[in-house]
Formats: sequence, C-alpha cells, structure tokens
Amino acid sequence: MITAGIDVGSISAKAAIMQDRKLLGASVILTGYNVQNAGRQVLDRVLSELNLSASRIDKIVATGYGRNSIGFADKAVTEITCHAAGGFFLNPEIRSIIDIGGQDSKAIVIDKDGRVRDFSMNDKCAAGTGRFLEVMARALEVDLDAFGELSLRAENTASISSLCTVFAESEVISLISKGAKRENIIAGIHASIASRVMAMAKRIGISPPVMMTGGVAKNIGVVKALEEKLDMPVIVSEHAQVNGAIGAALIASTV
Amino acid sequence: MFTGASYMKHIDMFKKIVSNPAEYAQSWKQETRGKVIGHFCSYTPEELITAADALPFRILSSGATISKAGAFLQAYSCSLVRGALEDALTGRLDFLDGTVFPHTCDSIQRLSDIWRMNTNYGFHADIIMPVKLDTESAEQYMFAVIHKFRKDLEAALGVRITDAMLEKAVRTSNKARKNLEALYEIRKTSPEKIKSSDLHTILKASMVMDRSRLADLLDEVVKSVEQEGPSSRLPSPKRLVLTGGLCSMPDIYDIIESSGAAVVWDEFCIGAKYFEGRIDETGDLEKNIARRYMNRIVCPAKHTGIYSRGVRLVEKVRESKADGVIFLFLKFCDPHAFDYPYMKDMLENEGIPSMLFEIEEQTSSGGQLKTRCEAFIEML
Amino acid sequence: MRAIMAAYYMEAKTPKEKTGKQIAWITSGGPVEPLHVMDVIPIYPENYGAMIGASKMGAGLCEKAEQMGYSSDLCSYARADIASATVNGGPIGGLPAPDMLICCNNICGTVLKWYEVQARYFNVPLFILDTPVCHTEFNPDMKRYVTAQIREYITFLEKTCGKAFDYDRMKEVGKLSVQAQALWQQILDTTMNRPAPMTCFDAFFHLAMIVTLRGTQVVLDFYESLLHEMKDRIAQGIGMVPEEKYRLIWDNIPVWYRLRWLSDKFAAHSACLVADTYTSGWCSSMKYLDENDFLGSLAEMYTRIFLNTGTGLMADNIIELVEKYGADGVVFHSNRSCKPYSLGQYDIQRLIQERTGIPTLMIEADMTDERYFSESQIETRIDAFIEMLK
Repeated sequence: MITAGIDVGSISAKAAIMQDRKLLGASVILTGYNVQNAGRQVLDRVLSELNLSASRIDKIVATGYGRNSIGFADKAVTEITCHAAGGFFLNPEIRSIIDIGGQDSKAIVIDKDGRVRDFSMNDKCAAGTGRFLEVMARALEVDLDAFGELSLRAENTASISSLCTVFAESEVISLISKGAKRENIIAGIHASIASRVMAMAKRIGISPPVMMTGGVAKNIGVVKALEEKLDMPVIVSEHAQVNGAIGAALIASTV
Repeated sequence: MFTGASYMKHIDMFKKIVSNPAEYAQSWKQETRGKVIGHFCSYTPEELITAADALPFRILSSGATISKAGAFLQAYSCSLVRGALEDALTGRLDFLDGTVFPHTCDSIQRLSDIWRMNTNYGFHADIIMPVKLDTESAEQYMFAVIHKFRKDLEAALGVRITDAMLEKAVRTSNKARKNLEALYEIRKTSPEKIKSSDLHTILKASMVMDRSRLADLLDEVVKSVEQEGPSSRLPSPKRLVLTGGLCSMPDIYDIIESSGAAVVWDEFCIGAKYFEGRIDETGDLEKNIARRYMNRIVCPAKHTGIYSRGVRLVEKVRESKADGVIFLFLKFCDPHAFDYPYMKDMLENEGIPSMLFEIEEQTSSGGQLKTRCEAFIEML
Repeated sequence: MRAIMAAYYMEAKTPKEKTGKQIAWITSGGPVEPLHVMDVIPIYPENYGAMIGASKMGAGLCEKAEQMGYSSDLCSYARADIASATVNGGPIGGLPAPDMLICCNNICGTVLKWYEVQARYFNVPLFILDTPVCHTEFNPDMKRYVTAQIREYITFLEKTCGKAFDYDRMKEVGKLSVQAQALWQQILDTTMNRPAPMTCFDAFFHLAMIVTLRGTQVVLDFYESLLHEMKDRIAQGIGMVPEEKYRLIWDNIPVWYRLRWLSDKFAAHSACLVADTYTSGWCSSMKYLDENDFLGSLAEMYTRIFLNTGTGLMADNIIELVEKYGADGVVFHSNRSCKPYSLGQYDIQRLIQERTGIPTLMIEADMTDERYFSESQIETRIDAFIEMLK
C-alpha cells in the first residue's frame, strides 16, 4: 500500500510518500497564500521526484494549519497526532516530541505504543516560535541560518528575560548598544526560546528520550539550549522538517 | 439531528434573543414598564429581583473591541470585566435601570468600584456574600446579606417585596431550573437528542428573559425534546465533560460535535452552576434562598473545602460516563487558574484525560481551538 | 535589622523538637497577635516572596510554577511560593513547613486559592478569616460575621496547639502591637520633614519587622532606635536624597528586584519618594482599634484596611498622603500580580490630578517576576515624568 501525507503549515508545505512503512521520499515548498494549491503542488513535486503516478497513491491524509482545505485528501488529522506518529516511526524509543515551527510550538508526550498521552501548545504568541528567531535575526542583522553556528561560539549566554517578543527585541537592541558580542546575544536568544518551550513541555510531564521536530530543529543552537534547559538529550532526525507529513502518511494506511 | 418543528420554533426564538439581548430587554421594558437590573454572576439572588417585578439581566460582554475600557482597566483583567465595561461606556447597556455586584473575585470587586464611578444606571448595589460557604457563621451572614439586598431593592425600586411575591418568584425560579436540568439530563443520556450549541443558547436566553414566561416555555421545550426520537448520528461519540467559568466561545460545541464527540455535561456559570439546586418553597424563604446559594455547585472564588471541586468533577465524569474533560476558562481568571493543576492531577489519577483552553479577548481564528479540540479527541 | 530577621528565620527553621513551637503560615493582612499569644512562630510567605524578588530568584521559581501548570498570569508571590515549597527554593533554601495555615482575604482573593494549594500540599489545617469588602461602608452584619470568626480563630488555635488561649497574655500582646503600629507611624511621619531623612525605599526595607514581628518587644526596641536615628538626621538637616528637589508618593507593592535601580534613578533626578501607600498600610487601621479591647476590635481593624475598601477611599488615602507630605507628584506601580491594588488605579490617577493638580506617572511591571520589567521603556517614562515636574 502506498500512502501520502501532506502537512500544510502557514509558511511551508511538506509531503511524504510511504510504502509498507518505508519512507520513499519527501519534499518541502513554501506555502504562499493559496493553501489548497500548496497541498497539490508539494504532492506533485514529491511524486515527480519519485517518478510515481498519483494514481498509485491509495490514501492521503492532510495535516497542519491548512489540513481542512485539502479537498482531495481522504482525511484530515491534527499535526499533534501526526507528529507523534512520525516521531515514533523514526525512533520508537522516544517518549516526547517537541515541535517548534514558524508560528507555533508544541510538546507531545506519547506512550510505548506511540499514542498521544498529552500535549500542550503555544499558539498565542511569537515567543517560543520560529518567528521569535526571525525578529531577532533582523534586529542583529545576521542571517538566520548562521544562528546555530554562531551561538556555539558564545563565551557567555546573554540574559534576555522578557516574555514578550517585542520587548525582548528591545533588550537585544540594548545589548547591542552596550557592545555585547553577537555570539553571546544569540546564545541568549536561544536560551530564551528554550525556556519558553521547556515551561510548556514540563507542564505535561515531558520525559526522555526527547525528539525535536519542525524547521527550527535545524538550528543546533536551539537544540543545545533545549538540552540544557530540559537536562535531557534531544534527538533530531534528518527528517525533522517533514516529520508531520511522515506521520500523516503512516496514519493514511489505517484510514 | 433534531428537527422537530415546535422545537425549531423555540430555538429560533431563543437564538434571536441571544443575538441581541439588549433589544429583548428594551422591548420587555416597553411592554411591562418594568425595570431591568444587570448583574455579573450566577450567585446573584435573582429571585429577589424577580419578586420586585424587575428583570434580572445577566451581563455578558458583547465581544466588541476594547477601546474605551482600556482607559479604566489594565489589560491583565479578564475579557468579561473589560468587555462589560466597554459595553457600558459605549452605551450598549443604556437600558439598564441598575446593576448589582455579588462579591466573587478581585476583578469583579474592582469593576464594581470603577462601574460606580464611571457609569450612571441609577441603582448600584454590592451584595457582599461570604467567601466561605461551609460554616455556620457564614450562613448567618449570608442570611443577613440576602435580607439587606431585599431592603436595598425595595428602596431602589420603590417596591415592597411581599412574602407572596417572593413565593411566586421562588416557584418560578425552581420551575425554570428544574426544566433546564431536565434538558441537561436528556443530553447526558442521549446526546443525539439535543445539540449542545442549542442548549447553550437556551441557557443564555434563560438569563435575560422574563422568568415567568421562560419557566412555562421551558415546559414545552422539554416536552418537544423528549418526544422526538433519536436521529441518525455517529454511533457512540466520545463523551466529554466541560468545566470552567464562562463559555464565551459557543463555537466550541460545533467544533466538538464535528470532531465526533459530544458534550454530555458542563459546569459553567452559564451552565450547571446556574440551575443546580432548588429553593425550599416552605418556611422562611429568604433563608431558603440563602441556603440554595450556599449549597449549589461551588465557584472557585468561594470556599467549601480544599478538594470540593475536584471530587465533584470526578464524580460527574463517572456519572455521565465521560471519556475526557475540557477545562475552559478566561485568560486572567485567577480562581479557575489556581484550581486547574490539582483538578487535572485528580483526573489523571483516575485515568481521565483532559485538556485546557484559555479563552482570550482577541481569540480570532477558531483555528487554534479547532486544532486542539481535534487533537484531544483523536487522543481519546 | 538583618540580624533580627536572620534570627527570626533561623528560629523558625530550627526543628520543633528543639524549640517546642509550632509554625503558622499567615497572610500579610492576617491577625498575627493571637499567634504570639499561643507561642506559634508566624511565617509570611508574602514576605518571602519579596525576598525572592529582591534576590532576583522570582523568574526562576515562577517558571517552575508554570511547569506545574499554574498560569503565568497568576500572582507572582503565589507562583514563587508554590514552586519554592516543592524545591526548597528562594534565598534561605525554602520556608519551614507549616503546622497550620492562616488565611485572611482582606488583601485579596488570590490568597484564598494560594492557601488552598498549600493546604493540599502540606496536608495541614487551614483557617480562613473572611473579611467582607467595604466598598463604601462597614456595616453591623459584617462586624458580626468577622467577630464570630475571630472566636472561631481562637478555637482553631486552641485545637491545633492543644492548649487554652491566654486572654491576659492577649492584652499584653495587643498593647505591644498597638505600640509597634504607633511607632511605625512615627517613623513614617519623619519624612514630612524637608529634606526627608529617608525614602520609601528605606521604608520597604524596614517594613519586614512590623509585618512579621508585630506584637513582640523586639520590634519596639528596633523601631525606637530607628526613630531616634531619623530624628537625629532631621536635627542635622541630613536628607536621604542630596539636594531634594521633588517629593513623590509611591503607590502599590514595590518592584522588589529593582529597588536599587529605581532608588538610584529617582535620586539622580533629585527626586525623593517620601511616602507610599504600601508601608503605611501597616498602621492606617489603628483608628479602628480599641486598645482596651484588642480582641473585640480586631474584626474592624482587619476588615477596614485600605485594600479592602473601594477605589474612592483608596484615592482619598493617597490625596491625604499628598497633602501631609507636601508631594509634587505620585508614582503608580501598575503591578500585574495584584489586581485589588492595581485595577482602579486609572480612576485614582484621574481623581488625584483633578483634586490636587499634580502630575502622576504609571509604571507597568510586576513585584517579583523580573520577566515583566522593560528597563528602557520604564526609564523613558521616569525621565519624561521628571521633565513634567520641572
């Protein structure tokens, strides 16, 4: 059985194709403003990369912010359930998943069978999401992709205490004018995001092994900051960004 | 889903009232030449207001964007308090002839002062009920508070509330509550018989309508719901109990139902807290009224014991054979937020999954709520 | 003063087997005098909340409370204390566990919930003194209710301590309490002088004694010497702020983790915070006290504290302070942790401007959670305010 999972987020859309619990391939594109189109496009893209015809797909599950707009999907399932399924598939040892996306972040606790036991979400404010990092990258005039590397070279972690992104930006500007090193400020930014995520995670009893998924997982600085706050190792799979789509494809085989 | 003609007629009427309660109050005033008394809490002894031939009107924020209220109340107060003040300051409540403030939480306490200083509805009463509801001295004090409120109402409205008027009001109140409870019981046993969003509409309407007419009307509504047979629906939906303060997100009912679950009970202020408990119709009515407010399901801003609410919630979940609980309360609602952790723990110890949703002033997209609800139901 | 407070905490943390004394946690507005009569050591979690804030440990503990499921919008004293109890946190490694909890809700409704949490956590008896809010009046029904509860309080103490209440000793403790309050008032009165010998930042520091040790002799001795010191400074014309130019009133609980910063900031502008509503709260109910019937008048004294009255009366209180101390302006701390103190400040601000014509400043922050303090924004506001006073 060949199944497809489509994860349409507010910023990027991902698709994954699975066959008999094997990942055949995955793809990522920018969502743009037409969610329905984005779903179609990213699926077409991965199919063409795999030289697979759409008719070969038995079932499709859509997830993410735009899941209910994907008319051609057989079912819509939330990204919480999908991230849990995807993470458990990539590593059945894990018991917790932390997903930091462009506009929200979530913590999920799963049981030994990969079922969701509890979850918490930060979907109300930018602090603790990828958006926080974008705002800071602009304030520092540093390329966001360089954040991870730079933070690893920090000698100290600057303290950024504001809960609000706007005021935190204010603190960063203050630090810059006082001559603080970029590396240290970035480490502080990572510590701040990790703090927010940790509070959310601990509320639901996060326990190791922990896996991090979502676009921000590519930032080694955030991963390390999270490890420090949680006092637990954080596993990042190479498929972190498409984890939700993988989970959706897996769930599709049960539809 | 339920499609009986007489039921639909009733629901449409309730919906109309709820969509513009101010209009209802205004036409009631014109028709009866009576006075409308606004209040903020299910602890308001409505029976006294009804006995004085006035209309007890539950004030809920209209949801208008906060602009004027921001000059009087900081952003760290809940949307009920900010929203109600906004409505008052922008003339949306001009039909009120008075407002009464039973003491509940710190925010309402200060709203009373701000309201007294900045609005002018003629009559303003603070009903300073005890916070403790489990001692004899508190009960004695409660008797005194009810008695004082009766006197304050008489003076303000220029009316003498006779025992006969009080008796009639108590009977009306009991009848309405009995019927509301009956609807909840029907939903608990057979959730397919009545949509939760309709039941929510009925409750909201019950808090602003002429109580005598309401009590009689509800008799008919209960009958029409009972008589209609079950409709085709998803077999055995997941059963949920909702707990919290105000449910100012009626969308949640449809979201829950479209995700394959059903609400089988709730403990909202615009829910079970409003109708639970009857008033003994014999003997000293003032005291009996006081007793009903002492003994009905407790609000977290009051005290009847450190485990009361948790124990009761677990019981309710078992009794309604629910699969999970959703906690729903306003952001900045301190009493509910303080109780949440221990209640969640109690549920967890009983193997009952739960989810929390904090309602904010600017909760724009139903998208976030929808995702959480769906994820939660997928979990059950 | 540090030595006295240290000794107080050390005795409290000494195991019961050695001291033979039980420990009660009590709210800042709670009637502590009967506890001294029963030889129970009173501990003030709110005072500890202030210490946690001053040690800049507030954010960490509040974060821990959030992990436990407590909303970040709740009072930071409560969050910090609830977390601290589970990890023995704060500057003295945690408070000694209580044998009983005494909660008086005259200051707010939050303490009711906070103490319920701790009653569950520590599994000890909880006594609640329910003081009805006096928006505009204190009526006989309220008096009867609170008086009945004072009797219940005594019964509760007798049961929990396993001994009879000594009414004679109550009279003595009552006298000491009245004397302490009178002394504290005199100390606060010294800043009527121009220049003021101390600022409210000093008062915030010295406040701990009247809060925690009211009813004991040691408070009197300490405050006598503090009063003496202030009178000396007055005699020598020594002002705490060099070249005092502007005299200001502070409203609300201090920003505990930024006292130094605020004090320096205002001093740099030659502004002296000469009085505040917070520290005067511990002697302003004296007028309701009957020295010869302390126990009988306890009810009224504790019910009519300014925080338990309406906003109108709170505004009157500040205007009295403005007139008494000859103030040029009022600084409001809009403290997100304390709704009864903060909601209504906008009206009070307007009333003060209307009735006295003096300018006012609003600072938004939190008393103990340093994550809610935006330094550059607040600095700008203070600077702008001073410019208004010039």
